Amino acid sequence: MAPADLSLHDRFGAIHRRRLLIISVMVLALFLSLGLDLAAGPAGLDIGDIVGGILDPQSLALRHRIILWEVRLPDALIALAVGAALGLAGIETQTILDNPLASPFTLGVSSAAVLGASLAIVLVPVLPFLPETAILPVMALLFALGSGTLILLIVRWSGGARETVVLFGIALVFLCNALTAGLQYLASAEAVQQIVFWTIGNLTRAGWLEVGLVTACFVVILPFSLRQVWIMTLLRGGEAHARSMGINVARLRIWVILRISILAAFAVCFVGAIGFIGLVGPHIARLLLGEDHRLLVPGSAICGALILSLASFLSKALVPGVIIPVGILTAVVGVPVFLGLLAGRRKAI
Amino acid sequence: MTIFSATGISASYGRTRILHDVDLPELHDDEVLGLLGPNASGKSTLMRCLTGEKTHHGRIVLDGIDRDDMDVMAWHRRVATMPQTPPNPSVLMPTELMWSTARALDLDFSDRELADRIEDIFNRLGLDDFALSPLHVLSGGKRQLVGLALALLRDPDVLLLDEPTSALDLHWRMVVLDLVRERLTERGGVVIAALHDLDLAARYCDRIVLLEAGQIVASGTPGGVLTPDNLARVYHVETSVSRDEQGRPAVQVIRPIRSGERLAR
Repeated sequence: MAPADLSLHDRFGAIHRRRLLIISVMVLALFLSLGLDLAAGPAGLDIGDIVGGILDPQSLALRHRIILWEVRLPDALIALAVGAALGLAGIETQTILDNPLASPFTLGVSSAAVLGASLAIVLVPVLPFLPETAILPVMALLFALGSGTLILLIVRWSGGARETVVLFGIALVFLCNALTAGLQYLASAEAVQQIVFWTIGNLTRAGWLEVGLVTACFVVILPFSLRQVWIMTLLRGGEAHARSMGINVARLRIWVILRISILAAFAVCFVGAIGFIGLVGPHIARLLLGEDHRLLVPGSAICGALILSLASFLSKALVPGVIIPVGILTAVVGVPVFLGLLAGRRKAI
Repeated sequence: MTIFSATGISASYGRTRILHDVDLPELHDDEVLGLLGPNASGKSTLMRCLTGEKTHHGRIVLDGIDRDDMDVMAWHRRVATMPQTPPNPSVLMPTELMWSTARALDLDFSDRELADRIEDIFNRLGLDDFALSPLHVLSGGKRQLVGLALALLRDPDVLLLDEPTSALDLHWRMVVLDLVRERLTERGGVVIAALHDLDLAARYCDRIVLLEAGQIVASGTPGGVLTPDNLARVYHVETSVSRDEQGRPAVQVIRPIRSGERLAR
């Protein structure tokens, strides 16, 4: 316990400064991970070449320049953008639904995206005039946004009751999974393989356009989240208190779920259903930074980006010459970090 | 100088009418009104109407201004509620909860002023040792005190307390109500408290409203309201009511009255 002669202002300030330091270290780790991710791969580029090649693309040989700018940078940056978007959506979901088990995927957004993508995969061979590369993410996005709209209608209809929202979200997950399974049952073997591959989650499909869209989505939504950090923090004290202060929790819930749906839809539509980050990213951030959403909201986005970036690095580094789909590795990276922090905390208490 | 009145309050849940045209006595500075009544008598619903959480018919007037004519946030800066449920046992620290509340409500404090104010309130409520502990390590009673601290943070003219002592032990029940009383003496304002404990109500309230099934059965001074007849009718218990040295009623519950049984009068 802190010395009693210090005022609350000083003690609280010290806690806040320590958390700021932690978040700075997290940002540093993010840059480090980005560097590792960019350097991983069989082309023989080291960190020096990478930094030089980013600052002055002409300094690299053409082959290396193409590898860096057309392959590695988009892959590494989409990992950051998708991770950050899922981390941000995750913390907002957990706070607004007051449920530590909730994530954007609890609301059915990713299952709907998988259904949309599966439909595209099955339909493309049947309707040959559709360009496959475009139709897949567009269908995934439309279905994800559609599920978000359904959830919002339910929130309005139920007056913002959070149990109803979670139950409906889970029902939607089951429905989408059932429809996807139905499609797989009817589809050809190649289509089934493609659907499974898409479902696992993979960063290598992304180009600069995708990086730009997901980043723009995150950058546009983040300020709205940051504007409500005080209300979100006090909401952790319970809905009854928030309501008694005149805060319209039902209306707040609609806005937040709108943000979550858009973030999650854009995050999954290009890279597939990369699970887990929206669930554990916020928990890791909470263990490190506490419940003050001023730091927890950006911290959760940084954690999400860091996990996915490290997973992206491992997906290339684990087996030389082979890229393991990143969705397989997110949990492999995230779970040990999470358990380690949890164990450390147990000791501290 | 604060004058608070609530008249003709009616409220329903769906088609079920919970409150029937309830008139509270007009309250002036330094007055504490106790709302009494058994479970499902409409106390909590009435409290939620007074805070503005529940839509209802009727007029609520603070210092001559109808609540409907006031800005929502302006109303909530002058009228603070302590809900029946204590804050959630999360990892949030009481100081963070207070801090975010002050900032979300746009209270005009510098960081230093806010910290000093929170520290002062925590000291008064015996929460100073828990200011920076996660809420989940606090007992239910301590968390209920944090709920009161949240309401006091705004320094409200009207303080609404919904079962403020339900999770507190005997010592803290009296400390809390003493504190609420002292505060009125220091700065004025009015308090409305929904209470279960008849003795606490008799000891701390200037006026009491006794509710049953959403209607007022009796309204007046503790001595006038807390009579064996009223208590038998509303709570279905046989009581003997004596007077303490200050002339306040002291209620002793003798036995429950079973349904169908008539009380000997």
